[in-house]
Amino acid sequence: MNDGTLREVEQFLYREARLLDSRRFSEWLDLFSEDVRYWMPTRSNRYPVNSKAISILDASQYEEEEVSGEDELAFMEETKETLEGRVARLDTGMAWAEDPPSRTRHIITNIEVEAEGSRDQMRVYSNFVMYRNRGEVDQDFYVGSREDILRREGGQLRISSRKIVLDQNVLLAKNISNFF
Amino acid sequence: MVLDVKSLVDADAGLISRRIFIEDDIYQAELERIFARCWLFLCHETQIPEPGDFITTYMGEDSVLVMRDSSGKIGAFLNVCPHRGNRLCRADNGNASAFICAYHGWAFGNNGNLQGVPNLQDAYYNDLDRSKWGLVPVAQLDTYKGLVFATFDKDAPSLMHYLGEMAWYLDSFFDRREGGVEVIGGVHRWIIPCNWKLPAENFGGDAYHVAWNHLSALTSGFTQAPAARQTPGGGTLSPGNGHCILAVGAEDYSSAPTQIIQEYEESIRAETLSRLGPRLEKITPNVGTLFPHMSFLRGSSRSFRVWHPKGPDKIEVISCQFVDRAAPQEVKDALRVTGLRAFGPSGVLEQDDMDNWEECTRTNRGAVTRRYALNYQMGLGHDRFDEELGAWASDFKLSDSNPRYFYQRWASLMQADSWEQVWPG
Repeated sequence: MNDGTLREVEQFLYREARLLDSRRFSEWLDLFSEDVRYWMPTRSNRYPVNSKAISILDASQYEEEEVSGEDELAFMEETKETLEGRVARLDTGMAWAEDPPSRTRHIITNIEVEAEGSRDQMRVYSNFVMYRNRGEVDQDFYVGSREDILRREGGQLRISSRKIVLDQNVLLAKNISNFF
Repeated sequence: MVLDVKSLVDADAGLISRRIFIEDDIYQAELERIFARCWLFLCHETQIPEPGDFITTYMGEDSVLVMRDSSGKIGAFLNVCPHRGNRLCRADNGNASAFICAYHGWAFGNNGNLQGVPNLQDAYYNDLDRSKWGLVPVAQLDTYKGLVFATFDKDAPSLMHYLGEMAWYLDSFFDRREGGVEVIGGVHRWIIPCNWKLPAENFGGDAYHVAWNHLSALTSGFTQAPAARQTPGGGTLSPGNGHCILAVGAEDYSSAPTQIIQEYEESIRAETLSRLGPRLEKITPNVGTLFPHMSFLRGSSRSFRVWHPKGPDKIEVISCQFVDRAAPQEVKDALRVTGLRAFGPSGVLEQDDMDNWEECTRTNRGAVTRRYALNYQMGLGHDRFDEELGAWASDFKLSDSNPRYFYQRWASLMQADSWEQVWPG
């Protein structure tokens, strides 16, 4: 991947983070393609297949994967329409979990860009630390990784797929009322 | 400890003390008198379908290992090594013939038996009776329509007695079609800084909050919230023993936010009516709480969850989604996505609930605040026993009737030294 593309992707993701943290959600929505899949699976604690903590009854059937599958329950599984619905809800003046609003800071790092299929698409990996402070003393840290497909649409980069993997099993925050 | 329960719960006057939501001595008594006594929900059978399948959960604050042994029989045990008290299984779920403690290597079969002790001959001189040092089992375990329950109290009434009339209401969620329900893979687990009774009573019939607190989810298209409709019918129902149901009108049986789910509900209407009987022509059970802390709903989401206590001001929610096993895959998929968008940590309805429960708990830290009883007077004197529904029913959908029965049951258990004093409810 050439330096120009790398810089372009970095700037795109930093700008996205700034839009989120300044609560410019309708501009943030414009960064997604109409067919976007925005997916945040859950995690679980599982023993690896070579663990000596258990004697597995049938190793050939044993499922080691600890990230929930595409047909399983996720923290978020959104389309453009439902992302718009979530943003519209924030504008009702009655979205109590965000009223008064959270103070968020998205720190985006470890950006890697790979070619993906056609010339117009890229696979982009990044890590995030999202700090949330709310009310008087509430604070949460959401830390994890993202895997995006970025697509060039009429000269504009757009996110056509986003997978968000949070590094928590039991979510330690009371809710997820912000975006990643 | 001796608790003056009468000063805490006055159901006749509709007054509940805030102390029960914050004080640690009351919470410690709850662990003994509610959670170590009552039948508690563990999991659904479809979460551990094969021999060796296991899942870890909690009963009160006790870590519990639920597993199918190699012959397929379900058992539940304290997830604690009897030797030094280490937590035995540290995974959420999996499949095993045996569990080996990480500390000294004691090994337990999936039937709870102590199978192996390192250095049994040379260090214990072969003088350890292994039959006495297996995992501590629950006192009673039983299932109802695929739901697995257990109690640590050998004197507790049978599960069917404990459920009583609630059994039919469970059917209306979990046995609407041939084959019952199955649990969708994956689970929502999260921490809420609130007292466990607040979500339990909310799911136990708080239709009042839906139209106001959840209005933003209604107007942005995530739910049809039948509980908030001005249609006639429905009400809060207390089928006994502290169990609570909120029912909406019979005609509100199809209320999902997507067409595919609505069409599905229409298509199975005749089947569910013939299966569940004429009560369904009177009401549609929509959400409920099985005393003390298992709640479930069918509406915007098909979810069951347990509000596991973690102290007077903290819970861990373990929440799953269920679907009729006989439903087509596209309906199951639609239920999954609409469900998680409405309920769960990011659910546009539930995220607002959590804020309320947290603040309703936290304010009680104030010594002066705690002096003032909470108001549970809505519909006081406006409920009656409905023979057809087998439950105390409010005259109107909005009522505090259910929480009054819930806290009466809570008070009864907190006062009683034995089940005979509690029974019959």
